[in-house]
Amino acid sequence: MRSPLPARRSFLAATGAGAAAFALGTGHAAAKETVGGKVPADPFTLGVASGDPLPDGVVLWTRLAPRPLAPDGHGGMPRSPYTVDYEVAEDAGFARVVQRGQAVASPELGHSVHAEVNGLSPDREYFYRFRAGTELSPVGRTRTAPDPASGPAELRFVAASCAAWYHGHFTAFEHLAKEDPDLVVFLGDYIYEYGITGTNMWREGVPLPGPEHAVETTTLEQYRLRYSLFKSDANLQAAHAAAPWVFTTDDHDVQNNYADDWSETGIAPADFLRRRAVAYRALYENLPLRAASLPNGPAIDLYQRRRWGRLAQLDLLDNRQYRDKYPAGQVVDDSPERHDPRRSILGDRQEQWLYDGLRVSDTTWNLHVTGVVMAQIDRTPGAGSTFSNDMWDGFPANRDRLFSAWKRHGVANPVVLSGDIHRHVAADLKATWENPASATVGTELVCGSAASDGDGADTDSSAKVWLANPHVKLYNARRGYLRCRMTPTALTSEFMTVPYVSRPGAPLATAARFVTEAGRPGLNREV
Amino acid sequence: MSHSISRPLSRRAALGTAAAAVPAAVLAASGRAAAADEPRPVERIRAAAEVGRVRLTWEGEAYHPLVDHYALYASRSRDFTVGPDTLLTKTVYASFLHDRQGGHRQDWYYRIVTVDASGARSEPSALVEGHSAESVALSAKPIARVGKYDHRSLGFALAPAGYAQYKDRFPNGVDYTYGTSKPETDWSYIQPGPADGWAGNRESSTTFRFNLDTVPAETWLSIWLIDTHATLPGSLLISANGTAVPEVKLENGATRGSLEGDATVPGTLLKPSYVELALPRAAMRKGRNAVVIRKRTGSWHVFDALGVFAR
Repeated sequence: MRSPLPARRSFLAATGAGAAAFALGTGHAAAKETVGGKVPADPFTLGVASGDPLPDGVVLWTRLAPRPLAPDGHGGMPRSPYTVDYEVAEDAGFARVVQRGQAVASPELGHSVHAEVNGLSPDREYFYRFRAGTELSPVGRTRTAPDPASGPAELRFVAASCAAWYHGHFTAFEHLAKEDPDLVVFLGDYIYEYGITGTNMWREGVPLPGPEHAVETTTLEQYRLRYSLFKSDANLQAAHAAAPWVFTTDDHDVQNNYADDWSETGIAPADFLRRRAVAYRALYENLPLRAASLPNGPAIDLYQRRRWGRLAQLDLLDNRQYRDKYPAGQVVDDSPERHDPRRSILGDRQEQWLYDGLRVSDTTWNLHVTGVVMAQIDRTPGAGSTFSNDMWDGFPANRDRLFSAWKRHGVANPVVLSGDIHRHVAADLKATWENPASATVGTELVCGSAASDGDGADTDSSAKVWLANPHVKLYNARRGYLRCRMTPTALTSEFMTVPYVSRPGAPLATAARFVTEAGRPGLNREV
Repeated sequence: MSHSISRPLSRRAALGTAAAAVPAAVLAASGRAAAADEPRPVERIRAAAEVGRVRLTWEGEAYHPLVDHYALYASRSRDFTVGPDTLLTKTVYASFLHDRQGGHRQDWYYRIVTVDASGARSEPSALVEGHSAESVALSAKPIARVGKYDHRSLGFALAPAGYAQYKDRFPNGVDYTYGTSKPETDWSYIQPGPADGWAGNRESSTTFRFNLDTVPAETWLSIWLIDTHATLPGSLLISANGTAVPEVKLENGATRGSLEGDATVPGTLLKPSYVELALPRAAMRKGRNAVVIRKRTGSWHVFDALGVFAR
């Protein structure tokens, strides 16, 4: 167990370091300069975060918001830029500071800071904190990825998804923060766009947010405000401060079931792109993403490839921005159009990028991080078949091309991480779905929700349908997260649950444990 | 249904909306995040008259600088102040449907302020005049009606949320005779479509029977809906005494009207829409007449009212 995070303490006033970084929160190098007047008191109400660990650096995040729920979405900040200092140390006491720098928190970016720190050592723990004026942030812990050529003994990561703040307490994040993981993989639906009213406010002991939260988010101020509300949760802040995060997204970061420029509520594409632009802007502002992911209008570069030494390649996929819309207008069907070979959930460019990367992969494990379930799930087992076109089932040709790429390139140990459904599910990925005896070509771990759908239960009315698909090995309808330990020989995945989220303080339990052996795809249940 | 493009009026001075300057050095360092431009007022605002609403559209830069939202200010008075009291809505879209105005024509005046990601505000746009169109349900002579044209479905059978009973209560659809049938028992608040599993995934029909003492010069059909399905609103195949009128594609609603029945509640998600058309004169006859509405595509719609009017 590593050392606990220190309490907030005095910041070393040493902003003259040569590594000063300065530019609208992006951390790009610039001359030392200080802008902004007196910083409003208590600006770090939304905590700190780190993300995207590389062998030589990470991106550090915070956002100045002394009044995080100010209705205009600007967090109570004046409409001026402010200098924010940061420092990175090898120890929790900040006795061995290795980097100092500056970034500008600008009103254009909601006074967020994304400081990209380079020059760090691979595969080691660091601590970081910010200062704005005389105000000090909480301390965060992060770590760098191993050297690409190294052979790490393990990667301990946790995964989470679907964090509907209003559906329950973030007890899952409270436990997750104590796991001391190397990495947190977030699988989409960090916020929800729906209005928060007495009908869906199931988080007990917390006042119903004001009327500005009661409507669906469509404007930038509304998306910003929604992030502020969710990120005001202390357990979510603790989870961010515990380890670096990487991300994929799903639909609710913009709107339910959206596909590229298509909205299920009939919004004209040109108008929907305007909404997508502000949703992506708020997403960037509130997550520890690098400047490469700063949106340009309605476009955001999210898909990327990362590496954990020779142990694992992580392909972080974007399954919403480029996907085709429903084949025949229905969410669930088995229309002939569903089988159109031109259909893609990733889009041509991302597909080619993925296959090119898989072709040259030399790692023991190949993780595919995607927002929605990849395994085929027949919704009407028995007579006839129907499938959810919102998941990879809506794009069978794309899935076939991916599986072909695995086979063609001899991709080692494909593992899919997904979310979306608010249920823990584990599935073998089959060469022929209808034939249980066919080869298992990969493994899918579907992470249940952190809070979405409230308390839940071990099983529910959909369990029968999912488990009727013989390659599905687990179905659990409680809230929780996924805990994994990956070594050169095995991937151990544990589906963690809490018995309730409507009130705080639920204990943690292991609903199931599987082992996947390197070289032998599929799930072996231990618990 | 009449449409008109209102003429833009002269621009008026901004009231308390001056944008503070952003330091040039910061803007220069911002890369894609912020252009050096301050937000500009939108242009080419159009206000199209429709029954019960004004459809506003405009043009303006969306991304450089990134528009947080457009603040729409509206008043029934031409000489109004842009301020919190006249704020109609905020929207990120370059369009807005100013609806729920009822069936009588209403005249409105609009100005739009562009607010960017930094919080900077443009000066207000030019003043634009618009109005909603008068509904035949209010301007023409009523012949036969069911429902109150009040943006509510509450007086009908199964309302406001009994859709699951439709299959049993109306196995052959609705067949309603004005003067003898009763809205609360004989007219379903909802008409399903073949996409609705709860109604058996089949075509549905609604028949409205009425008498004409004489055939008027123009016989108009007015259908007000409080909501439709959000993605599969479908189309109406309407016929008068067996003579079809052009298919009417319904607007996307909010998929809420199957569960709630009052579109006048503040903040409601319901999306009312309106269908008003002239029935073919040659098809109308003295004595008994029947209008049939068939739903052969899509999902459900929920009625506010349906009526036949002479003009």
